[in-house]
Parts: sequence; structure tokens; C-alpha cells
Amino acid sequence: MSKVASGIVSSQKEPLLTPELLSQLERLELVSRKIFRGRMKGERRSKRKGQSVEFADFRNYVAGDDLRFIDWNMYARLDKLFLKLFMEEEDLHFYALIDGSSSMEFGDPSKFHYAKQLAAALGYIGLCRADRVKVEMLDSSPTSSAPVLRGKGNLWRMLQYLDGLQAGNNCTLAEAVKSFSLRNSGKGILVLITDLMDKSGYESALRYLVARNLDVYLIHVLSQPEIDPDINGDLRLLDCEDGDVAEISVSQRLIDRYRQTLARYIEEAREFCARRGIVYMMTSTERPVDRLVSRYLRQRGLVR
Amino acid sequence: MLGPMGWILLGLVPPMILLLYFLKLRRMPLEVPSTYLWTKTIEDLHVNSIWQRLRNSLLLLLQILLALLLLLACLGPGCQGQKLAGDRFIHLIDQSASMSATDLPGGQTRLEFAKQEAAKLIDSMDSGDAAMIISFSDRANVQQSYTRNRSLLKRKLAEIQQTQRSSDIGEALLAASGLANPGRTSDRESERDVQVADALAASLIIFSDGAVKDVANFSLGNLAPEYRPVGALDVPNNVGITAFAISDDLDSVGLQAFAQIQNSDDEDHSVDVELYVNGEIHDLQNAFEVQAGDTRGISFDLSGLLDGLESPLPVRLEIKDPDVYLLDNVAYGTIQPPRQARVLVLTRNNPYLQYVFETDRLAKLSQVEFKEPGFLQTKEYRDNAMLGVYDCVIFDQCIPEAMPQCNTVFIGSVPPNDQWQASEREFPTLVVDTDDSHPLMYNVQMGNVLIIESTRLSGPQAMVTLMESTAGPIMGVGPRGGFEDLVIGFPIVEYSDQGEEAHNSDWPNHLSFPLFVQNVVIALGGGARFDANQGTRPGELVNIRTVVPSSTITVRDPEGETVSLGSRGDRRFVYGSADSTGIYSVIDQASNREQQLFPVNLLDPRESNLVVREKLEVGYEEIAGTVESIPETRQFWPWLVLFALIVLILEWFIYNRRVFI
Repeated sequence: MSKVASGIVSSQKEPLLTPELLSQLERLELVSRKIFRGRMKGERRSKRKGQSVEFADFRNYVAGDDLRFIDWNMYARLDKLFLKLFMEEEDLHFYALIDGSSSMEFGDPSKFHYAKQLAAALGYIGLCRADRVKVEMLDSSPTSSAPVLRGKGNLWRMLQYLDGLQAGNNCTLAEAVKSFSLRNSGKGILVLITDLMDKSGYESALRYLVARNLDVYLIHVLSQPEIDPDINGDLRLLDCEDGDVAEISVSQRLIDRYRQTLARYIEEAREFCARRGIVYMMTSTERPVDRLVSRYLRQRGLVR
Repeated sequence: MLGPMGWILLGLVPPMILLLYFLKLRRMPLEVPSTYLWTKTIEDLHVNSIWQRLRNSLLLLLQILLALLLLLACLGPGCQGQKLAGDRFIHLIDQSASMSATDLPGGQTRLEFAKQEAAKLIDSMDSGDAAMIISFSDRANVQQSYTRNRSLLKRKLAEIQQTQRSSDIGEALLAASGLANPGRTSDRESERDVQVADALAASLIIFSDGAVKDVANFSLGNLAPEYRPVGALDVPNNVGITAFAISDDLDSVGLQAFAQIQNSDDEDHSVDVELYVNGEIHDLQNAFEVQAGDTRGISFDLSGLLDGLESPLPVRLEIKDPDVYLLDNVAYGTIQPPRQARVLVLTRNNPYLQYVFETDRLAKLSQVEFKEPGFLQTKEYRDNAMLGVYDCVIFDQCIPEAMPQCNTVFIGSVPPNDQWQASEREFPTLVVDTDDSHPLMYNVQMGNVLIIESTRLSGPQAMVTLMESTAGPIMGVGPRGGFEDLVIGFPIVEYSDQGEEAHNSDWPNHLSFPLFVQNVVIALGGGARFDANQGTRPGELVNIRTVVPSSTITVRDPEGETVSLGSRGDRRFVYGSADSTGIYSVIDQASNREQQLFPVNLLDPRESNLVVREKLEVGYEEIAGTVESIPETRQFWPWLVLFALIVLILEWFIYNRRVFI
């Protein structure tokens, strides 16, 4: 079996994040469409009025309010008690979940590497904004070694962790997400990076996430050979995860049908996500990570 | 049969299929991220999968097609075509009587078969080829001159009709060679000797049973002849009448009918022969044996029929046993009422003539008057001569002032007109030649006859010299309008003014003299008692002479169709539509009675002999027949191989491009 033919090339030498990308990412921040109560005070502007230096509004004093926030200048001028409201700045939970199944190893660069790059990029944005960042590979095991990181200085730890990840952990998406959900209770943004190639279906996994009331982003990564297969002749296709075999005689008609099937599959996933408030995005490994983050994810509102 | 090429190709088929099998059926294993989408894709196709698969396996279909084509090519298919070489063809189709024989399988006539075969050849012509169709019996008909229009050729071919005539290919060959061998001026040495046209070589294809006269003095030149015999290969069963005559020997036996029955089969046959007179059976002969390839005579007694006979009687002889050629199973004849020739002899007491006319035989044939030359001056003679009372007038050393309206014989004198000239009498006269074929000289032997003096004769252009001496013609017969004048340049008995008798010849002492006089009475006096008219054959012109002057006559053919004829002068009529055998009648328009009957018979032993000739003789060449038409297998396998190659290329293209058309 030729790895070239199957498109499996590991270009692990390529660094997950380049300095150019890092400087680009530093100017971005993660945006949640939902308001979450942070655990710690962070740099994130919360919808809650809080104690940051940024002025937000005035309101009338009512009994029991903290006297420290009374605007005495206003009282002197108007002889009325006004309470000064400040913007609250909080931290945010950011989870990046990487599908680690064998199928992710395909493509050049491999989908897995692409997923790690993307996770690192988004994680770095979170670290820069002092969010609680957790990058994790999906796993059905009840424990996880993934560190919870915070602060720009922890970038190296994140990268070190990502570098150590190896694909080939074949569990179903649903099991892995369920395990994750049990272990992590924090609310916030969750980005699931997967190729959705799970024969048992992705629907239940996404339902778990929706039930957690997370702000879920699904990034569907496909390699170019999957989108536009360039194969000839009579082939016996071997599934790398479960060894399943499909015998095909490649014809233009078959290729056309495959494309139709893929398009339908993507459309189904998009629709499923749209109904459940999940932001779905399909990307090819050909699309550079920086462009994906700075343009496409920005359009979808994940970063700004 | 497979040629070496075929075997090589056959040997190539299995490895080729094997190669294609490897190319196609050994599926390459390929690891993919997931078969999920592929399985989903195939699932759709699995619905009525076998047909779907077949429908989509264009490659498989092409491979099967390729293998089939190659196998088919190896079998060397071809069709039995007929190849015509050259680009100009002349089809000569025999339409003579013998072509009506139904000896071919299915009862097809030879002519139909010939037309079919010719049509096949016309079909196999290349588009640029031109062909010409000539049909022939005893004459030739150019049915269609050179054309490339095949439908026209086939239409003209279908229009060729069966005739009842004999066959003579000579005229057809002349017509055919007209374009192939254009004529030149006669003088080759002359500067004006120019070739009239470019010679156009052509293939000459003769469809005939070969029952044709061999053609002498004909050069085929640029014609490439091919003879295709038409007819059954084994000898056909045919017994036919090849001769039929009714005659009276004027002796004791009386009137008799004679016939010849020919058996051209290779087996003996016994046939029933019946003779009908006036439509009723008169006589028959059962189980008449004719041996294989033999001819036998048969005779019937008709005596007694002449007594009191006033109008002519039709006679029909019929072989009752059917065979493949029916035309010669019937022969026709007539019995004419007895009629004596009226002969006037103007002589100065020539005893020998008197003796001859007194014989029983001539007395039966003729009613003779002897007169002195002085009778010429009488009114009775003039009236009778002008009215045509006499059938024949014999002028023995006398000359009339004007020629009578009848046949004449001049002995020792010449007719009083410019056409006949006689020289001075010359001595000696030695007879060197006589025309034995002429009816007047029939059975007349002149070898021992002594003639002392004779004049040399010169007559009209159409004069036939009957007797020639060392000096020149001494006896001749020439036409005069509708009559004939026989001029004998020497007298037999001369009389001096004193009445002395001097013999110029000893002819009267020989048997040939009464025979000659009898021939004169029969031929010039119309003295035959009945006229079987056996000479008239289908397609020939019939000369009819009426007894009484008439401007028009009506002729009724055997089918009952009538045609009116206008006179050509001198009570003579010419009838040209006697195309089929049978008895034709001349009807007197005034009385509506059958005045004359004349039979038309083919009676041709050559046509009756249905054995197909293996070769034709044309000039100095013999054209051997190709008994079976030359089959030429048209090979298709090169085309199949070519097609297979195209399929292979297409297959390769599709395999590589994954293109569906």
C-alpha cells in the first residue's frame, strides 16, 4: 500500500504555529455569543457590569448598593445619589477538541496536524486574552492529561502537549464527547475539530455538547483527496479504522456519485448544526490555518 | 477455412482477453480514511445492481465486443458474391424458344433463371460500372444501351420476353462489339484510315443454353467473353417433333403426313402421338418408342381427305406426354384443296414437251394448253394474259409483245424487255455448274446432258443463275414484279422454215427433263396440290398471295387476334407478326371465310435438344462455359479486425480517461 497514493503524508516538521501567525493571533480575541459567568476575573469584557476601569453607565442608588461606587461628583452637582457602573471583565472557558481517530491521519498535511494547528491557533488567542484554555484530544478514557492553561506564558506548554498527541485513538465520537462532558463542567466556547468520519454517526455527540449549553463550533476538516478523489481503475478500498472493505470500479459516473454523496453529507451536517445553534464550518486541509482563522472564523463570529 | 492469418489471430485472442482481465479485475487495494462515503455511494448503485453494473461496465461490454469481433474475424466470414472484373459489361440474354424449358429446380424456366443471374451480376457491379443488355433469338434486341443506372438495367432485364424463335447469336455479337470494336475504313493503307471511335473493352457475359448456331467469321476483339450455361446439369427429359410435312406422292399411296420425333433425353421414351385434322382426332399412335438421343420418323395416312375438299384444313400433330419443353410437342400443318396449275405452252409442235405433260404425274398437277406461237396475236390470249388466267406460260422460241401477268418460261428466246439480254449463240456449250439448291433444279442432274449451242444470258440484278457453261450463264431465273421469268438460253428442238426438225440438245432423252418440267410446273405454276408451308418459322415474314385481286386482307393469328394488311401490289401481302407457332388464317373480307391457312412451326432440332452445351464457338474461339456461376467469397474479416482495433482503442481511452460517452 502506498502512502503517497492514499495521501497519508505526515508533515510533522512543520511547526504548529509560525511567528507570523502568532503575531497575527495576538490581535484577535475569542467571542462567545452567550454570556458566561467566568470563574476568575479576566480580560474578557463581560456582559455583567463589573469592576473594570471601563465606565459603562449610571443608575439610581437603591438601598444596599455598595457605597464605594457612588459618584460623589454627581451627588455634589445634582444632590442625587447615582451609582457608577463599570464594565466587568471576566475570563472565558475555551475548549478545543481534536478528533484523534486514524482517519485524521490522512491528507497532506494530515487532517490531524491541521487540527492541531487550528487548535493551537485558537488556544493561543485564548491564552493571550487570559481565558481558560483547554486543548484536548477526544478520548473515551475517563481521565485526561490535558492541562488547563491560562496566560500567554503557557503557550509552550500547550504546544508541547499538542506535539505529544498521536492519532489512532479509535473511539466513537459520541463516546469521546460524552467522556469529555462528564469531566468538564465549565461553560464557554467549544471548538470541535473532526472529519466526522464516524460510521455510528456524529449526531449524538453533538447533542451532548448542545445539552451542556456550550457555544459550540464544529470545524469539519477534510483532506483534498476526500473532497476530490483522484483514483483510477478497479480498487479495493480499505477502511483504516475498522478494516472495512469496499470494492469499486472507478468510473466518472461513480466519482460524480461520490461527490454528490459528500455534498449531501456536508449539507446534512450543516443543517443538523444550524437547527441546534452550532456553527458549522467545513474546511479543507489545503486552506491555510491563518486564513481560516483570520477570515473564515472571523466571519462566523468566533474571533474578532 | 481459416488461413494462416486467421489462426494467428485466433491464437491472439486468449492472451488478449487475459491481459484485459488482469487490467480490469485485479483490484488494487487502497487505504482510505473511511469507506463510509464510498459505501453510501455504492449503496445507491446496488439497487438492481446487476443491470446497473452491466450498464455501467462499458469496458466489460467493449471487451466482450472486442473478443466477439476477433472470434468472428477468425471464422473468416464472407458472402458468396460474384465478382465482376472490368467496368463495362454486356449481358447477352438468350430468349429463344429453348429457353422456355422448365428443367430447372422449381419449374423455373431457363429464361427466368438467366434473368435472375444477370440481375445478381448487375447488383454486384461497382458504382462506376456500366452495363448493356442485349436479348437475342434469331435476331438481336438492344434492350438497354450502356448505362450505370442499375434500376433501369434491372427493369429492362425484367422486360425481356420469351419468344418462340430459334437462336442466332451472330447479330447480338455484332451489336455487342459495336462499341468494343469500332469499325475502321476499309483501306488500311490509306491516309484516311481513321479509327471511328476509341475502343472500349467490355466483358461479354452470355446467358444461354448454348442451342445457338456457331458463329463463324466473327472476331471478339476487345470483348472478353464469358459463357454462363443456363439449364439443368443432367440431360433434360424432352421428346419433340423436329419435322412435319404433309405431302402427296401423287402415286398410289395418297396424302400422307410425315413427322420426325426426336428424343434428346438420355433415356428411352415411349410417347403417345395424336393427329388432329380440323380440330378432331384423326389418327393416333400409342407408345411410340424413341430411343435415347435418337430421331424416328412417323407417318399418318390422310388419304381420302382431299376428295371434295374445297377449303383448307388445319392439321395438328401432338405428343401427349408432357415434358420440360412443351413448344416442340405440337406441330401444325394444313391441307390445301387440290388445285391444278394452268399452263399455256406456245410451241411449234415440240413433241417432248407434249410427252412430258402427258405423264400421269404432270396431268394431275396441271391443266395444260398447247398453242402455236400465232396464238399470241389473238384477243383471247391478250385477255387471258392480262387477267392472269394462266399460272405459267412457256414460250418455246417465241416472244410476246408484252409480258403476261403470270410466271413465264422462255426457251431459246429472251423476254422482250431491257433487262434480259442474250449473246450470239456459241459453240460448244459445256455445262460446268448447276444450282442444285434451287427448287427449279431439284433432282435435275445435267452432267450427262449434251448441249450444242447456247446463248450467254444476262438478266436483271436479282437473277439467279441456274446453269452455267464455260462461257457464262445459260439458264437463269429473275423476278419481275411479283412474277418470275425462267430463261433458258438454248432451244431444245429447232425447226427450220421448211419444217425440218433439228435437235440442239439431247436433254429430253434424259430423266432430268421431265423432272425439270415438273419442277417448273410446281414452282412457277403453283402446281403443288397442297401447301404445307413448312418453311414459315416464328418471327419470319410471311408472303401471302391471294387468288383473286384484293386491296386488303385480314390475317387471324392462333389466338384469334386479327390484323388487316394492305396490298404491296400484285396480290401480294406481307405479314410480319407471326411470332408464335400455330395456324394463321387469311380471311376474305367480302365473304368472311377462311381463304387460306398457313402454319407456323419452329421445328428446330437444335432448339429441341435441351442438352446444355458446354462451350460456344465464336469465330475461331471457343468459349467454355462456367457451369456454376463463379462464386467469389467476399472476405469480411479484415473489416472485423479493423473494427476490433477501433474498439480496443476506444476501450483504452475510456479506461484511462474514465469517460463515459
